[in-house]
Amino acid sequence: MSIDRRKMIVLGAAGAAATIHSPLLRAAAAAAQRGSSAAGDELPAREASWYKKLDEGRVECELCPQACKVADMERGMCGVRENRGGTYYTLVHSLACSIHTDPIEKKPLFHVLPGEKAFSFSTAGCNVECKFCQNWELSQFRPEQVQAYNLPPERLVAAARRNGARLTAATYGEPVVFWEYVRDVAIAANAVGVKPTVVSNGFIKEKALREVLPSLSAIKVDLKSFRDEFYRKQVRGELEPVLKSLQVIKEIGVWLEIVVLLVPTLNDSAAEVSDLCTWVRAKLGPDVPVHFTRFHPTYRLTDLPPTPVASLERAWKIGRDAGLNYVYLGNVPGHPGENTTCPRCGEILIRRVGYQILSNRLVNGSCPDCQRSIPGVWS
Amino acid sequence: MTRLTRRELALMLGAGALAGTAEGSTWKSSMRPGVVGLAEARAALGKPLGLETARLAMARALAASVGAESGVEAAAALFSPRDVVGIKVNCLAGKVLSPRVELVEALVDLIAEAGVDRGRIIVFERSNRELQRAGFTIRESGLPYRCIGTNNDYDRDPSTSGAIGSCFARMVSTTCSALVSFGVVKDHDLSGVSAGMKNWYGVIHNPNKYHDNGCDPYIADVARHPFIRNKLRLTVLDGAIAQCHGGPAYRQSGVFELGMVAASTDPVAADLWAWQEIESERARRGMPTLEAAGRPVRFLASAAKAGLGVDDPEKLLMVTA
Repeated sequence: MSIDRRKMIVLGAAGAAATIHSPLLRAAAAAAQRGSSAAGDELPAREASWYKKLDEGRVECELCPQACKVADMERGMCGVRENRGGTYYTLVHSLACSIHTDPIEKKPLFHVLPGEKAFSFSTAGCNVECKFCQNWELSQFRPEQVQAYNLPPERLVAAARRNGARLTAATYGEPVVFWEYVRDVAIAANAVGVKPTVVSNGFIKEKALREVLPSLSAIKVDLKSFRDEFYRKQVRGELEPVLKSLQVIKEIGVWLEIVVLLVPTLNDSAAEVSDLCTWVRAKLGPDVPVHFTRFHPTYRLTDLPPTPVASLERAWKIGRDAGLNYVYLGNVPGHPGENTTCPRCGEILIRRVGYQILSNRLVNGSCPDCQRSIPGVWS
Repeated sequence: MTRLTRRELALMLGAGALAGTAEGSTWKSSMRPGVVGLAEARAALGKPLGLETARLAMARALAASVGAESGVEAAAALFSPRDVVGIKVNCLAGKVLSPRVELVEALVDLIAEAGVDRGRIIVFERSNRELQRAGFTIRESGLPYRCIGTNNDYDRDPSTSGAIGSCFARMVSTTCSALVSFGVVKDHDLSGVSAGMKNWYGVIHNPNKYHDNGCDPYIADVARHPFIRNKLRLTVLDGAIAQCHGGPAYRQSGVFELGMVAASTDPVAADLWAWQEIESERARRGMPTLEAAGRPVRFLASAAKAGLGVDDPEKLLMVTA
């Protein structure tokens, strides 16, 4: 039997977590091994929540700034929304193609229930095309091209609880393209005390963002660069809508963390990092954590080396010098940049190696030495 | 734009232009930049052509496209018995506006009569379901030809061509040594025209990523990828029924009876012809040009610039049998 990498994502997820919540995932693994899929030629479809009808059976998507105008029988850039006779449908609601129980640190959300598990899920599709996408085998494919199976919100949340996960995380691919599923999972999770979180590129229209944000406990946004040119050439998106999303998230008050993947020569200049940190400090405040993470060559960007640690450390310093209280480094296990430090007394509060918590000295969300309150979702 | 008969084209090309078969590089000498072979193929909306009419139209258009005496001779010049011939049909719009089964089968017959084993001729589309909706019968193997969807069987790694980065269907990257684009003549709400070149969007895993800016330069970038460019022998356009507005899906109000089949070894020239026919019908109806309607056909200039063919209407040679 030959299995390609896209099938292996489900198999891998299933295998890794089988001892934790076996019934659901064994079913997924079995389906993958059979080579069958819920995503056949005739995908289950639900009418999309954010679009408007145009003339002659066309529709305009109002979910993300791509604002695709889509003719009958065609799909938007995300590949997961289809116009069928003048009605726009999402093809991925409840159609999970990857699930896994991860530590919340993997998202990374360092100020959200440290050490807790996040029941993580994704569908196929994405509304941009990052040349350096780490999850391109999910995000850059259409739902019928990956192994997937039906996992309605209530079942997803039940699986999370069976696994002892206090959080859900819409992640791996791009939750914006399955925003209705994100919304409904959040509603189901909140109903039973599980905290819903999202890992997103933030490339979403304000109305759709505002409608779902109040249901979320935390969101991590990938700010891929502080230059619009980078967004257009490397991401096929735009910077401005992402900055707008960050401000809306801050305004609504949902816990926010930012990740910046530093790609050598493309977005790692001191000037750009400085501009980014200065903007975050001015517009979002000093307490929004910013994670600078290490790039590894993949997908269409295989001709660049991994980010030098020196570049990461330079960004770390620039961020702190700009007045940001919580600057982290990622994909460099064991580096002191993984730790949470009290901005007042300088003591280490949470010590991490990779995704593992070595110690957590927070007491009721405060530094035990100087009692400074540390912002985050701690309970 | 010049109109010629097949005989005039043959005279222009000179004696022996099609001598031999398609062994080695001979098929390359049969390429006719700017030449579009045309044949009448009249059918009412929703009605079949009839097998004899289809055979005659296909043979005439094919012969005219290369200046051959017959369709079989033309096929022999373009395809070798060693080839595995993939015929990509565009069935997105369902039965009324997809390549007609009888025309596709006429082409299969001509290629087979030219010496290619029928087991080495594959009619394909993205999925079995699309083929079936267009009236084709799925045949994984056997006679009279294979007919299958690529069904998400893509290369594992993406490959880049200009602005696109895509996993290609193994059907074109690996299985086939010679390719035919068999499209229709229709309007497209973003690219302006969907005929032979846009049909190749059906062999990449992520066509949805490449519809901005009128699909330009993406259509040209897909077509100039070596998997396509080095294997493409022929573009055939079923214009018995065409659509000048409301595409790419079938929309009855935009449909008209063009009554032609076109064949060309030049994919750019074939699409240029399709574009002209669409514009003519739109003008006849008092509709604005595609450019005025907000969907200028940009991709042909990019394709010509990439050396894929002729996009200059002055250099277009329309040849009838």
